Amino acid sequence: MKANIVRDSLRSFGAFLNRGRTPYIVSAVLLVLGTVLVYVSPRSIPAFLLFAIAAGLSYFLNMRKSVKLALAVLIAVVIVPILGARNIFYLEVIFQIAVFSALALGLNIVVGFSGLLNFGYMAFYAVGAYLWGFFGSQQPFLLHAIPGTVPPGTKFFLAPDWFYIFIFLGVIVAAIIGLVMGLPVLRVRGDYLAVITLGCGEIIRQLANNLDKPLNFTNGPQGITPIQRPSLPKELLAFFNRLFEPLVGHDVTANQFYNIMFYLIAVLVVVVVIVVTYRLEDSKIGRAWAAIREDELAAQAMGIPANKLKLGAFAVGASFAGAMGVLFAASRTFVSPESFTFLQSVGVLTMVILGGIGSIPGVIIGAAVVTILNVQVLQSFSLFLAQLRQSDAVIPIINFHWKDLSNQLDPSKYQRLVFGIILILMMIYRPTGILPAARRKRELSAPDSLDVPGDTGAEDTGAEHAAKKGVDHE
Amino acid sequence: MSRPAWILETTDVVKRFGGLTAVNKMSFSMEAGRIYSIIGPNGAGKTTFFNTLSGLYKTEEGSISFEGRRIDGFAPERITTLHMARTFQNIRLFGGMTVVENIMVGAYTRLKQGAVQTVLRTKAFKAEEARAEAKAEELMRYVGLKGVGNELAGSLPYGAQRRVEIARALASEPRLLLLDEPTAGMNPAETEDATSLFRRLRDELGITILLIEHDMRVVMNISERISVMDYGEKIAEGEPREIAANPKVIEAYLGRGAAGGNAAELAAGGAEEAKA
Amino acid sequence: MSGLLRRNSGSEALREILLPLGRMGVFVVGAGAVFSAIMLVLALLCRGSGADKLLVDSQGINIVTYTLVNLPQVLIDGVTLGFVYAAIALGYTMVYGVLEFINFAHSEIFAIGAFAGVEFLIGMDRLGVLKAAGPMGSYMYLVLALVVSMVASGGIAMLVERTAYRPLRNSPKLVPLISAIGVSFALQDIIRLVESLTTGQFYRVMPTFGDFDKRLPLFSIKTGQDSTLVDIQIKSIVVIGAAVLMLVGLNYIVNATRIGKAIRSVAQDRNTAALMGIGVNAIISFTFLIGGALGGAAGLLYALKFTRIDPFVGFMPGIKAFTAAVLGGIGNLTGALLGGIILGMLESFAGAYLGTFTMGAFGSEYKDIIAFLVLIIFIIFRPSGLLGEQVSQKA
Repeated sequence: MKANIVRDSLRSFGAFLNRGRTPYIVSAVLLVLGTVLVYVSPRSIPAFLLFAIAAGLSYFLNMRKSVKLALAVLIAVVIVPILGARNIFYLEVIFQIAVFSALALGLNIVVGFSGLLNFGYMAFYAVGAYLWGFFGSQQPFLLHAIPGTVPPGTKFFLAPDWFYIFIFLGVIVAAIIGLVMGLPVLRVRGDYLAVITLGCGEIIRQLANNLDKPLNFTNGPQGITPIQRPSLPKELLAFFNRLFEPLVGHDVTANQFYNIMFYLIAVLVVVVVIVVTYRLEDSKIGRAWAAIREDELAAQAMGIPANKLKLGAFAVGASFAGAMGVLFAASRTFVSPESFTFLQSVGVLTMVILGGIGSIPGVIIGAAVVTILNVQVLQSFSLFLAQLRQSDAVIPIINFHWKDLSNQLDPSKYQRLVFGIILILMMIYRPTGILPAARRKRELSAPDSLDVPGDTGAEDTGAEHAAKKGVDHE
Repeated sequence: MSRPAWILETTDVVKRFGGLTAVNKMSFSMEAGRIYSIIGPNGAGKTTFFNTLSGLYKTEEGSISFEGRRIDGFAPERITTLHMARTFQNIRLFGGMTVVENIMVGAYTRLKQGAVQTVLRTKAFKAEEARAEAKAEELMRYVGLKGVGNELAGSLPYGAQRRVEIARALASEPRLLLLDEPTAGMNPAETEDATSLFRRLRDELGITILLIEHDMRVVMNISERISVMDYGEKIAEGEPREIAANPKVIEAYLGRGAAGGNAAELAAGGAEEAKA
Repeated sequence: MSGLLRRNSGSEALREILLPLGRMGVFVVGAGAVFSAIMLVLALLCRGSGADKLLVDSQGINIVTYTLVNLPQVLIDGVTLGFVYAAIALGYTMVYGVLEFINFAHSEIFAIGAFAGVEFLIGMDRLGVLKAAGPMGSYMYLVLALVVSMVASGGIAMLVERTAYRPLRNSPKLVPLISAIGVSFALQDIIRLVESLTTGQFYRVMPTFGDFDKRLPLFSIKTGQDSTLVDIQIKSIVVIGAAVLMLVGLNYIVNATRIGKAIRSVAQDRNTAALMGIGVNAIISFTFLIGGALGGAAGLLYALKFTRIDPFVGFMPGIKAFTAAVLGGIGNLTGALLGGIILGMLESFAGAYLGTFTMGAFGSEYKDIIAFLVLIIFIIFRPSGLLGEQVSQKA
């Protein structure tokens, strides 16, 4: 009963929001308010959350598509860079949201669209990251060097702008690795497939960890650094500063501008990923994936080459991660096996499941929520605890001195707990996620009333007529 | 007499599961443009035989030819591409997809646009999708479904699901359609509708139909030829009235107490046929 | 089927004790012999190779002698590890047999057992009774710690089943699997939280007590002027002995008692078992209880052998034990034992020889990769495992 009241009031609130001009006003007011708040107090989390919610809400409100698109461009290209320049941390958060959105969308193709579980998804991200990590650094000249040492005068292997080519190479190489890792789908399904992908993911991580000998490909656990970033377009920086200096309040430095640049590249990649995902979903390929997920045998009987499509899902999913891996390596100028653990793979799975398995907007929301939880909420709790630890505060009754608090209790170290609880609760209470996937409704010419066949005999003539006119089987 | 143009011809097909021989030396042929039925007691191997025809099971021995081409050993998707389609005894729709999508999945082998065109959303791709959607709608109307295109297939009533399954099979443009107990669970009115639909499929669209059916009224009513299976073997074949009178067939049904009802129906259906 | 009809007589009970003991002996000797033979053939093939020359230069022995000299120690280590894996693998295999579901959280049940037992011993140590205990006393405390581990792990395993798996029992197959991953991760951090709350450190070190670290010399091998002593640590004997006892006990419970019969019938067909008046929920709980208890005991044995434990200690042994279960044929108790021993041997041999034979290019760090490869290859090419005919039919 209570749930119904909540649902009903939410629904009527939604109806109110979507009436006439209301959505335009609401989203404009919220966006302006959020922007101003973040602008005025760049460190306030509520302000940032309001801004994030305003941006997210605009997508769901009933507005014209062109308006939404214009808003998205305005937010992505103007507002966020300016706000980000005032507090680089936001750029970092949004960059990570973009990266994880792409990863989650890629995993969603495998898990959500075609119903195959993949616990080793970070391996593809690792492949992309190490691809640029190796070729975009001095590593090719260090094959015979002792891990961790760099002889003086070692050059970089490639010019920094090869980075852009390597984004595409990352797509291709990761897709190939995806095909290889997907090969077991030809024989294995269900939970066994999940375990195999976990094994493959761990093998790739361990190879990254161990391939510092006999030849030093990966520099072992220490990871590869420095990795080159693409060269900074100086004119663009000057242009940005000329244009926005009054708004930002100071000149953006080259390093800060790198953050803006990587953020923009990430957003661009995500946009491409979203478009590709939508187009694949709404095509015979997407329908075939869904059919395989629902009933593989029936799908095959309908003429769907299930193995080919499952491998395809692995390859496409992997390719997104490959591109983001290259971007990640360049933006961090550092890669190490630590970033590609089972924990990370499960983290991406958590995003998919929290947001709504198979649902594109859901998965993006999942990525945003989990990322914000990880890098903002947990970390600010940690910060808060750290401040308490510095202070002389005492919890009265039990006489506990905050300064005695172990830094092992840092909330930011408890990602596993967060992922774990999200996964359990979602599986038990809402396995379809926050924003469940919905099948696309088509504009069909037939009347919109449910007409169960067999009840009336009159329809047959009409159907016959249609058949003679249209159904052509030769 | 010249050899008729067999659309489907099997010789000595054998399918075993471990020690059990589910289909034993099944030889069967059917002419294009006809409606044939396979009947037999439960567990006689009819559905297994269907599964070997549509490539879901690999045969151990024997050969299967479709339109003069050996197809045994082909993957199911390849057989569908060759214009043979089927439905399932225990309706296997993609319950989480809409009715239109289900039917469009059936058209998979007839859609030519590849991944690149899909991602680029070319004109040709859009045109093909629109055609596929329009055709799915036509097929819906043809099998007698209206206004349920956007419903989830799994939410439809039983009889409607049967129709969606047939529409889905039709979308693959079959020349031979295998229907596995298509009227099971239907009430008499629905059964009658379905029967007339099968006739129209053959008469209007020229599709050859092979039925597995338990409802003897349906079988006797529309089949032009009937094969009877028991213990994985074909024990009789002939026109409906011959089958109804065949002592071996009656024994096969009566010999198994559980199938007594069927035997009674068999006799009843035969009588009806004879009257007609 | 015949197992269900079997009557529970005295001689039958004896049989259920002796038979698994015999099997263990055969598996240990057989696996040891096969691995040793393969290793020796490899060594003979590698005569004159770079690795051989390197050994002659550095240690003055050729590769065949090197292999032979190290063999007994490698075998002992392999068997010890193998029994630990087998004890963990039983938890996976029992749950899989009954629910057809990979209990991913079993590796944390293992870790909980390790922590519970070690915490108990640390507590005893703090009281001072541990150091004061004599030789018999130290064994008594170890047994007590084992009991604590088993109770803690078995209880938590049951609790996990009740809260995170039972509501999902009729969901699609991947749903409980994802929930299990969630439980696994959550438990890791809960252990970490609990341990950090009390001391600020999340790892624990097994207190040293008794004579478990002492090495019993067995024999020595003379090679030229040197001689290599082969010995066995007392704790290895304890680990093997405890594992053997538990495995026999479990085998007895499953094959020779009423409740074991109920477990087997639930594994065969849950619905029919329910119709026959078997309390399916209670039986599944009990399965988690004994699987968890075994895992917990294995955790403490692991802590005894490797001393330092942290909340993530379960992951690798868990994966390897699962590999062992698959290797032997998942759902099959004997198979888990065989798989555990083979995997333990494999790891021990790879750890000891891989580095030497490849002249340091690939060292023992590849032993995890080898375990994963075994897992993948078996799942792909022989998912029913070495002994798993029955299971493949059931699935």
